[in-house]
Amino acid sequence: MRRILRIARRDYLAVVRTKAFIIGLVLFPLLFGGGGIASSFLLRGKAENTDRRIAVLDHTGAAGPAVVAALRQRNHDESTGKNAGLQVTPQYEFDTVPADGAHPEQQRLELSDQVRRGSLHAFIEIPAEALHPHSSPPPSVGYYTANGADQALRWVAEGVNTGLRRAGLAELGIPEDRARDIAGTAPVENMALIVRDPQTGAVTQPRKRSPVEIVVPIVMVVLLFMIVMISVAPVLSAVADDKQQRVFEMLLGTATPVDLMGGKVLAAVGVSLTSSVFYIIGGLLALEAMAAFGLAPLNLIPWFFVYLVAEVTMLCAMGTAIGATCGSPQDAQHLAMPLLLPVVIPMFLFGPIVQQPNGPMATAVSLFPLFTPLTMMLRQSLPGGVPAWQPWAGLAGVLIVTPLLTWAAARIFRIAILFQGQRPNAAELVRWAVRG
Amino acid sequence: MDAVEIRNVTKTFGETTAVDDLTLSVPEGAVYGFIGPNGSGKTTTMRMIVNIFYPDRGTIRVFDQQLQGTRSEQIGYLPEERGLYRKMEVRSLLEFYGELRGGRSVNGEVDGWLKKFDLLHCADRKLETLSKGMSQKVQFIAAVVPAPKLLILDEPFSGLDPVSADVLRDSILELRRHGATVILSTHDMHVAENMCDRIFMIFRGKKVLDGTLESIQNQYGNDTIRVSANGDAAALDGLPGVEKVRDLGQVQELRMSNGCDPQQVLRALVTRTRVTSFSVTRPSLHDIFVRIAGPAAEEVAVA
Repeated sequence: MRRILRIARRDYLAVVRTKAFIIGLVLFPLLFGGGGIASSFLLRGKAENTDRRIAVLDHTGAAGPAVVAALRQRNHDESTGKNAGLQVTPQYEFDTVPADGAHPEQQRLELSDQVRRGSLHAFIEIPAEALHPHSSPPPSVGYYTANGADQALRWVAEGVNTGLRRAGLAELGIPEDRARDIAGTAPVENMALIVRDPQTGAVTQPRKRSPVEIVVPIVMVVLLFMIVMISVAPVLSAVADDKQQRVFEMLLGTATPVDLMGGKVLAAVGVSLTSSVFYIIGGLLALEAMAAFGLAPLNLIPWFFVYLVAEVTMLCAMGTAIGATCGSPQDAQHLAMPLLLPVVIPMFLFGPIVQQPNGPMATAVSLFPLFTPLTMMLRQSLPGGVPAWQPWAGLAGVLIVTPLLTWAAARIFRIAILFQGQRPNAAELVRWAVRG
Repeated sequence: MDAVEIRNVTKTFGETTAVDDLTLSVPEGAVYGFIGPNGSGKTTTMRMIVNIFYPDRGTIRVFDQQLQGTRSEQIGYLPEERGLYRKMEVRSLLEFYGELRGGRSVNGEVDGWLKKFDLLHCADRKLETLSKGMSQKVQFIAAVVPAPKLLILDEPFSGLDPVSADVLRDSILELRRHGATVILSTHDMHVAENMCDRIFMIFRGKKVLDGTLESIQNQYGNDTIRVSANGDAAALDGLPGVEKVRDLGQVQELRMSNGCDPQQVLRALVTRTRVTSFSVTRPSLHDIFVRIAGPAAEEVAVA
């Protein structure tokens, strides 16, 4: 154990004393999350907010003005409503264009040319049947634009449909103020479930969920992913580099391969804990500064560290074994992606798990030991959580698999570390792991 | 007591038998030379003594203890393949290796060795900034701090200039004077002859020589003539009773066949050329090495 600790201390200091580590510690979260915030800040009130014109080609002959009015209102809400009157998205101008019933293709082409020339941003074509749809599904409204990812598409549909409903109500002779009530939309809020306080017995008041409440736990999952990545990937190339530089044989004169591997894994765990403590303390201080410390998922922090240590141990043990089979750091880089699959695959499953955190797929995946740390963390962090037994069951699997993987990796490492020549294939690695 | 006791050890790698039923005893306090052509099994034997490789069969005891998956704090090991952490500073690196093996602070000893090798001025420099020769000296220090009871050196002199080689040789002998047992492998037969109390030669995994230089030479008897004569070595061709002529430049070495009379050779020689020196002697270790290893070893031996 003394030798493991001495090797771990050397390897740990060799990483955390580098400028690259210190700069990376600060830059990594900025690149991940801060980039978006920075770009919104930089673009605020600048180029994106130039006014744009959209033509409304109305084949109904009646709905155009109501649609334009609804679109203007919707655009106003979209561009200023969420930001206390400050415009943050482009302002759109809408003009009704009477339909040329005789030459509809020619008219579409002319409007398209205007879009291409830049005098129009887009045009909306409302078919004649839109007011009185007799078919199912109803005839669709066309939004013609040069940019397939036009941001206005997010809210144009709601504006057009509100306008069409108001035009229909006007046809029925319903006064405009009543039509506004009927065709209006009520915002739907994301509310937390009501609970009874186990001590006082009081029932909680309805409470609107803060976006931060959802974002903070997800940030923890992303943080776990990020720290595992930055802790594990360098181990692979560092081991291959040490092998290429012939460092190991000298060390093997004084330490066993298990000492060497144990030291390297322990150092990587230490590096990951250092980064985590830095980010978590930083996050808590940020929440405190935002007067939102109550939203910090303090109950998840111990799980975060347990999962982190388990994941880094598993992957670093495999990483040292695989790195020892490589002849150079370049060789090792090719194997980084397969090694990191246990953290990459859960990130691909992020969407389905968020949609159904307690569905059979999410449950099964989170109980598979290699995927447990990230997927269980994600499920635990989502509102509603998971049944109490599942994190413990997942942890039990991890605690069984981690020593087994580490043991197999140590056997591979012991042979591979002095192995020269062609890289062993998967079958040979399995044979080394089994026979030693 | 023997420092190292190897009993019937065999080690194979796939189809290749690197060491074949080897038995060897290294007495405590001796300087033991391991010689043999490349790939003959020297390094594998050393790695098994250090316990980096485990024997397939047989036992190895170091100071009467069998090392099973552990490392002895009493063994210092300098591998043939040189490699140290290039980004570390010299002093930090030596303290790391010393503490790793000895389990205690070795700062004072490190400074002593750096001074001895005239490396104190490099103590705070990174390894990557040192020359190859300086790096080798640092690696040697890493193997001997703290002072080991058994020092295993695989090709310690390769690549060193004569001055550095002298310093290294003096240090090895000084360690021996303080009680250390030294095993060293070398391709330089002069080193083996001059430094080693006993010599062990391994060839194709098997022990072919083991003993003092004198006892080894005695096995071959006085079958060698050293001659200096005017003219080139061509004058020595076809001498009666001479099996082989080895031209060393100023001196020629003649190997006599069994039953050959040196007087007869001398008489034949003086009829051909003017002889300036003539001596009958035992074969050199170099010659013995070449006789055993044959053409496969010529390249190494000449180098």
